[in-house]
Amino acid sequence: MNREIKMTEYVLGFEQITKASLPVVGGKNASLGEMLRAGIRVPPGFAVTTDSYLEFITGAGITREIQNILADVNPDDVASLDSASAEIKNLMGNVPMPSAIAEAIREGYARLCEKCQVEDLPVAVRSSATAEDLPTASFAGQQDTYLWVKGPDTVLRMVQNCWASLFTPRAISYRIKMNFPHEKVLLSVGVQKMVNAKAAGVMFTLNPINGDPSKVVIEGSWGLGEAVVSGAVTPDKFVVDKVVFEISERTISPKTVECVYDGETGVIHREVPSDQQAISCLEDCEIIELVQIARQIEDHYGCPQDIEWAIDRDFPFPENIFIVQSRPETVWSQRPKSPVLGGKTAYEMLMEKALATVKVRL
Amino acid sequence: MAKERRFPYAREVEIPPEMEGWEEMYPPHRLFSAERQDWEDTQFWYQDKIHAPDPMVPLDEIFHQAWQISLAQHTTRVFCIPPAQGVAQRMLGCYMYICAITPPPEEVIKEKAELFPKRTFPVFEHYDELWEEWLPRFQDLGRELEAVKVPEELPKYVPDFDSASTLPEVTAAQQLLEAWDKAVDIMYRGWQYHFNYLNLTYLAYLMFADVARKLFPGISESAIGKMVAGAEVSMFRPEEELCRLARLAHAEPKVAEILKSDRPAARKIESLREIDAGRYWLEELERVKDPWFYVSCGSGWFHYEGSWVNKLDVPFSYIKSYIERLDKGEKIERSLTAIAEARDALVNEYRKLIKTDEDRKSFEDAYRNTRTIYKYAENHLFWVEHWFHTIWFDKMRQFARLFVKHGVLSDEEDFFMFNRLEVPYLIEDLATSWALGENIPTLKWADKAARRKQILKAAARWNPPPALGVPPEVVAEPFTVMLWGVTTDKVQDWLKGVEVKPEEVTELKGFASSAGVAEGKARVLKLLEEIVTLEPGEIMVVGNTNPAWAPVFSKIKAAVTDIGGITSHAAIVCREYGLPAVTGTGTATSVIKTGDIIRVDGDRGVVTIVQRANA
Repeated sequence: MNREIKMTEYVLGFEQITKASLPVVGGKNASLGEMLRAGIRVPPGFAVTTDSYLEFITGAGITREIQNILADVNPDDVASLDSASAEIKNLMGNVPMPSAIAEAIREGYARLCEKCQVEDLPVAVRSSATAEDLPTASFAGQQDTYLWVKGPDTVLRMVQNCWASLFTPRAISYRIKMNFPHEKVLLSVGVQKMVNAKAAGVMFTLNPINGDPSKVVIEGSWGLGEAVVSGAVTPDKFVVDKVVFEISERTISPKTVECVYDGETGVIHREVPSDQQAISCLEDCEIIELVQIARQIEDHYGCPQDIEWAIDRDFPFPENIFIVQSRPETVWSQRPKSPVLGGKTAYEMLMEKALATVKVRL
Repeated sequence: MAKERRFPYAREVEIPPEMEGWEEMYPPHRLFSAERQDWEDTQFWYQDKIHAPDPMVPLDEIFHQAWQISLAQHTTRVFCIPPAQGVAQRMLGCYMYICAITPPPEEVIKEKAELFPKRTFPVFEHYDELWEEWLPRFQDLGRELEAVKVPEELPKYVPDFDSASTLPEVTAAQQLLEAWDKAVDIMYRGWQYHFNYLNLTYLAYLMFADVARKLFPGISESAIGKMVAGAEVSMFRPEEELCRLARLAHAEPKVAEILKSDRPAARKIESLREIDAGRYWLEELERVKDPWFYVSCGSGWFHYEGSWVNKLDVPFSYIKSYIERLDKGEKIERSLTAIAEARDALVNEYRKLIKTDEDRKSFEDAYRNTRTIYKYAENHLFWVEHWFHTIWFDKMRQFARLFVKHGVLSDEEDFFMFNRLEVPYLIEDLATSWALGENIPTLKWADKAARRKQILKAAARWNPPPALGVPPEVVAEPFTVMLWGVTTDKVQDWLKGVEVKPEEVTELKGFASSAGVAEGKARVLKLLEEIVTLEPGEIMVVGNTNPAWAPVFSKIKAAVTDIGGITSHAAIVCREYGLPAVTGTGTATSVIKTGDIIRVDGDRGVVTIVQRANA
């Protein structure tokens, strides 16, 4: 289905999204749609497009006000940043969402609930900025994410919160310093079925330590991935060869804290039961499956990726493995690709080897 | 400064008193001695558990004597690998220790660096033709050894002859003397051939491994091994032939029934002779026996291991289990094409990961050259250690029978208790006694043999130290690095093994030779004949393995060896079978006991003792 993306489209299902949708759905959402097309297991959901955001700030008539507030900000002055941020957030939080957009989001959420056959389906509401996730500007993590959001009203509120999160003190300062015009940053929001994560984490399709392109490095911990991403725990680490699938390194760390959903208070950090702390958060079969998926994603995009994954406790293996995000790896991809073998022939290298001795250190 | 970390010197090693007299079993120049102590102390010696895991039987030592010269000279005098010298040997308490000799003076390295490329590069260019020349040359040598005529007896009187025309030129006594010299000459020559290309093969492998590690810093030895491994190698043929024979039998219910029965191979053959299909099957067996059943039931290095061809019960038991698997509808053959295709696909995937065209070109060149010559490592093993040695042992038994017949020795086994430089004494003593007339005594060789058997038994119960002397600063010798797997970590672990009591060790490190993790009961096979005790699903812990063991791998869950790199036999076969393997642990057979629950992590090269059998 190649539905044309029209200017008036407020909401797009992940299945309608491709790479080309990036300007209207942001990097994160575009990547999710793209992965879905490539056959990667992604939790279902939809994107609230940048058109919604644009119409929200223009339709509500707050564009000018925002610009005025930002005009006087000093990016190195914390107090100035804080007050500007609070002012804008207040402004954006109090303006009612235009009803056409609200209706579209409610409809999208209702469709998602129907698809998953769960009433008030718990979802993750995440920002997906258009300037984010580009290899040259690591905007990652600049905007908010809301987990375990239930019910259409809450979803609407969280979408609005996400929009407001474009103007956190940190984000404002970052953009000013990077010389990135505020008005060029449009925000899309992703609403995605919440994975009931037994374990979650990140993985890279190369070894970030030495750039080894033949490895997938997985880091994971118990519960939701936020514990790993935020650095609240030292995760388990697995280094796996992506060609022969050997696990060449396996570091099991004491995972003291996990991030879980608590029925009453929402998402909380809690202590991991002591008998679970030293146990690997991933089974070998899950590790191998993750590596397979990592390879598939990397092949699809044609460049090294930085991927967030989660393992759902409600599904059997391998349907329990979900990819919640993927973006280009930014560190090694920036480095010039220079040869390491010095253009030598086999004979030259053989001669070198024949002349070499192996050091034995004691 | 901390105390120097070293292993005991040979003179400090306490040898059990029951082994008294062990020294006289080996030629004097093969022992550690005060005369050469100054030099011996500067070298680092470690026990060769690959080729001599068991106490050294004097006559079987001939192979080692031969390779000490041949391996070294191909490094130092033929191909001139610049900083490398040979691998020296010494016997201590019936066990063989070896050392990679420290590099030569700088000016020698320079000279050799001039010669090396001129002498080696053409080998790579012409390897396929060279192999075409090598194989028939080697096969001719084996046939020559087979043809050496050993008299069955020294007759009371030489056979009748026509005194009018010619007198007997020589007698059986002279034939015996000549036969011995000829057999030894051929054996030594065979071992010269053995190293024709092996040194370069190992060097090429090490070069390719370097290339792979530069491109993929974390690549495992086992992945590199998978890239260069061949599928169409002689080493796999014996097992293929077994599969083929099993299939033939499976197609003939009567033949299958006989072969599946629980009877000795000799009885099965009798029954097969009684039916047409059976006779046809036996013909097929005869057709492939030479060379493919000339495969040792052990490593090929010890006479008592026997070979399939003279221990038919061994291949027949494998055939039985293959037929049973065919009955169950299982597939028994490994597809060589599939193995080769899988390897090519794997190499291709790594190739695709290379970031620049320039590197891809270098990788390609290194890979092509390494693959070309690597076949030698995989092929020579069958022809030399198995086929050729099988012929040799058969020949030795012909000599042995003669001595038994004349009452000089009590049984065939006795003959192997004398080293190859002592055998001429026996021959001359017998020939003299025969020539002199009636009732002339020889020395009491049988008594000496009996004493030596006791010493070897005591030696088998003794656990010698894994190494002697001060560990080296550098190793340049390609075999040491690759075949024996001597690296910093290895030496460190050996040192630990010496400092810690075996029962206190809970973890051993080795090479991650075949991926995967398995946990289960350990079966420690210190002597090769213990293989019959192995139960399905156990984890095999051995000094090392060889091609004759191939069918065993379908029984076990994982393998652990004392010594051996990622191209050791156990490593190759485990990768083929998808079994986890950790090789080159140094001390597994002394630290692990049968019945211990162990975990073999073939991804990381770690063996963990989860639970002691008697804990």
